[in-house]
Amino acid sequence: MYLKTLHLRHFRNYQDQQVEFSAAKTILLGNNAQGKSNLLEAVELLSSLRSHRTSRDRDLIQDGEAVAQITGHLEKDMGAVDLSMTLRQNGRRTVALNSLNLRRQLDFLGTLNMVQFSSLDLDLVRGGPEQRRHWLDSLLVQLEPIYAYVLQQYNQILRQRNALLKAMLKVGSEISHDVSPSSSELALWDAQLAIAGSRVIRRRARVLQRLVPFAQSWHQAISGSTEQLEIRYAPNVALVEDEPEALQKAFLEKIQQRAIVEQHQGTTIVGPHRDEVEFTINNTPARQYGSQGQQRTLVLALKLAELKLIEDVIGEPPLLLLDDVLAELDLSRQNQLLDAIQDRFQTLITTTHLGSFDAQWINAAQILEVKTGHLLEQEIF
Amino acid sequence: MKPIKNNPSPLPDPPITVWQTTSFGGSPTVYTRPLARLIEQLQHLPGVGPKTAQRLALHILKRPEDEVKALAMAIVEAKLQVGFCSVCFHLSAEPVCEICRAPNRDSSTICVVADSRDVIALEKTREYRGKYHVLGGLISPIDGIGPDQLHIHQLQRRVSQQKIEEVILAISPSVEGETTTLYVGHLLKPFTRVTRIAFGLPMGGDLEYADEVTLARALEGRRDLE
Repeated sequence: MYLKTLHLRHFRNYQDQQVEFSAAKTILLGNNAQGKSNLLEAVELLSSLRSHRTSRDRDLIQDGEAVAQITGHLEKDMGAVDLSMTLRQNGRRTVALNSLNLRRQLDFLGTLNMVQFSSLDLDLVRGGPEQRRHWLDSLLVQLEPIYAYVLQQYNQILRQRNALLKAMLKVGSEISHDVSPSSSELALWDAQLAIAGSRVIRRRARVLQRLVPFAQSWHQAISGSTEQLEIRYAPNVALVEDEPEALQKAFLEKIQQRAIVEQHQGTTIVGPHRDEVEFTINNTPARQYGSQGQQRTLVLALKLAELKLIEDVIGEPPLLLLDDVLAELDLSRQNQLLDAIQDRFQTLITTTHLGSFDAQWINAAQILEVKTGHLLEQEIF
Repeated sequence: MKPIKNNPSPLPDPPITVWQTTSFGGSPTVYTRPLARLIEQLQHLPGVGPKTAQRLALHILKRPEDEVKALAMAIVEAKLQVGFCSVCFHLSAEPVCEICRAPNRDSSTICVVADSRDVIALEKTREYRGKYHVLGGLISPIDGIGPDQLHIHQLQRRVSQQKIEEVILAISPSVEGETTTLYVGHLLKPFTRVTRIAFGLPMGGDLEYADEVTLARALEGRRDLE
């Protein structure tokens, strides 16, 4: 797929900016705080309806304006699509495909596919498990947009169940530990948590199963086949057999086992909100023991695997957004990335200077200079 | 100096002009104080923003006095007179509502809904001839609403003490609705047959345009062709 144009109105520091992407690679060049990442953020919003930088829409709207708008013209194998998104101060959003307003935002997801790679992604290996869950969830939403609904349901049940546990904790300190009227109510939330949680776990397991071989082969290629990468999904409720009923049963059993701890803590401790994805290189956990270089190689392999998996599932190459990350890779990794994407994946790259780039990146790339919310086309010879 | 007594209005405010900044346009707009107060009050209504409130207020001022009084009286009387039916908790001006009193309705079937609005919606179908029970909300621990805050015990009493053939649960399939359905279902199972309404495709809707969530629901609730 190819994002031909992007139009930003009152978005972040852009007043009214039309961009036309004229090459497979576009380099956005500029100093810090000029609006390079804002542009990538706009693409991220069109793809996922979310921004990894903020959850409040009013942060996305230019100061003093009521409404921001992002529109894009996307060319896909099946034909062209016009995407548009309107953000308001009060948080209400309107999304439209081909000028047709959608009643449900869920229907907007999965139209524009992309893989994001920023310097923050190193936290994918180093950071806490929530980073890896979030990464997995975002990938899943792109591949199976309905997952956004599945996850939202799970989170709502989780919030309700936590509120009940907290309320029971308050009451419990006053009354004896007999069967309180709330325990039958809790059982209902248990059942719902198990049903929704099983859906989340099974889908996460399924996507990892498909992603891991790609990641391993990329990792081998980048590290020169000296290292063996293992990726293991460690769901909070063990997935022994891939049957919804069996998993729900295991889920409920684990809730039973941990019931006393949960009642003491007043929060839910069983479920996919406690899942982990473990990366090991040559049998050592990459999180604690991996060197910087190993961690970088691993993240790059994961990102390349994402590209490949999305291309496989969707049937056409997604966009690649490289936010300030290319300069951090050494030349050999840069070249490996370049080899992998060639001209098949439309790539948007932000950087403060071109110095550390291999010449191959700059050749045939469109270079746009970003300065205080304005874009200028640059010719570089 | 005494003010001239020509205005017996109980409202002490003199008709001075206040400048008030509205949230739209950003420009100050002139309302005399009683008008500003009316607009302010109307804005508390659901779905009414500043613009609509202003339009409604100006419209009210244009109407003849008795019509406006009738509106004001209707609002006050409705608030004072309408309470809940003591049997089903539907909105009612009498201790027992018209539906509960109707002799020609089937009193062996109870349809359980979350809200009085749902009774009105179901009544419009003219399909259902049984009685109702309004829970007054859904179980939602976040909002501090548990079974005790809803009219569930009264429902249990009704079902256990009367001869009820069937209880139909007609509650939205949200996370909270689902929990409430399960709770009430478990509670009433020992006494009678409990069913729930089907969820699925809207009438006149095309299969290809249905979303996955609805379609999945519709598949779950499929039944044998008669």
